[in-house]
Amino acid sequence: MEWTKQLGRYIVVMLLQVLLFDQLQLLGVCHPYIYILCLLMMPITLPHSVDMLIGAAAGMVMDVFCNSLGIHTAACILIMFLRPYLIGAFVNDKDRLNEQISLHAIGMEAMIKYVITMVIIHHLTVFLLAAWSWQHIGFVVMETIVSSTITILVILGYNTLRYK
Amino acid sequence: MQTLLKILLRYSNFLVFIALEVAAFFLISLNNAYPRSSLLSTANDVVAWQNAQINEIRGYFSLRSQNEKLAEENAALRNYICSMDSAQNAGSYHYQSAKVVQMTTDRLHNYLTINRGRKDGIRRGQGVRNEEGVVGIVRTVGPNYSLVLPVINLNSNISCRFTKNDYIGTLQWDGKDSRFAQLADVMAHMTVNPGDTIITSGLSPVFPEGIPVGIVENSVLKEGEASYTIRIRLHTDFKRLKYVEVVQNADQNELEELTNGMD
Repeated sequence: MEWTKQLGRYIVVMLLQVLLFDQLQLLGVCHPYIYILCLLMMPITLPHSVDMLIGAAAGMVMDVFCNSLGIHTAACILIMFLRPYLIGAFVNDKDRLNEQISLHAIGMEAMIKYVITMVIIHHLTVFLLAAWSWQHIGFVVMETIVSSTITILVILGYNTLRYK
Repeated sequence: MQTLLKILLRYSNFLVFIALEVAAFFLISLNNAYPRSSLLSTANDVVAWQNAQINEIRGYFSLRSQNEKLAEENAALRNYICSMDSAQNAGSYHYQSAKVVQMTTDRLHNYLTINRGRKDGIRRGQGVRNEEGVVGIVRTVGPNYSLVLPVINLNSNISCRFTKNDYIGTLQWDGKDSRFAQLADVMAHMTVNPGDTIITSGLSPVFPEGIPVGIVENSVLKEGEASYTIRIRLHTDFKRLKYVEVVQNADQNELEELTNGMD
């Protein structure tokens, strides 16, 4: 039941990503990838390697829409690999967590730290891999700052409204 | 043996991570080296169809400006017919119109998807233009849709020349502004003035000679460098691109056989 809900949310979030957030045009640096909301909030009850495979699948779907074969896949595998360690670092008793990762489950402070770290790592990886050289590093940094801010606000906003 | 197994088990997650990342980087490398499967791009039937629907809906919100644009386009097309007559007589090129169903202009690797595919005779490597000038080159072909690599993509390379003296250069893009591109490989011994006109060179079978590209905005010759850094103002307005034409060369197969035979 829990996983049906997770899948349903993934579909809604992907629709929002493609229909709304991919259409934003703001000074050329605004490319928020809110679809990682689903990866971030997934329960950590599955084996670690299964988590990474789910990340790879979600990344590949996004790659099809972005014409960027492999880039989102690589970034999502990376954040899904880091996820249990980050949660372990921000939450004291992570073994107790058998529901999804949310504001309600791990508390305000841990959630903010967790979301900010994960989103910045993901966005920076995507934009660096897309640029594929240090030549555009200024653009990449600007793109990361603007896009991460929007993604972070969306994910935290969703959590506040849904699980206050 | 047992210790080895223990170590492998202990680090199994890390090994899975490395294996998956290697696979992902393999996909990224495919991106630049080979023609991609249309399934894994926006030329995919499902994704392109979905994008075409979004385009339809957005069209209703901009009917007024669309009308104005159409009037402008009519005028431009009338002129274009005249120029095409002479261009077509010169070679064996013909044009096929297509609608842009999806496009990005604000990324480093921009692409556009058009609603023509293999069924309409589109092949990888065919040129794409509109009534204003050069648009790009067909990159991946699906059954009903194709993916075009436009001038405004870091991987784009198009052979161009000056109208005034036939000097050749390569049109590239620096990833910054969709209105400007750069002309590389123009040697220091020639003079470049702002306002010089750049057209396609006709050296590759992709484009016939003489399709407008842009005009020189400014040029810089750095001390000790052999070639200019030239900024070109593109004729094509990528932000308002709606309709394009695919340039099909009747001799393309023959030309490809010739070049393949040389390798």
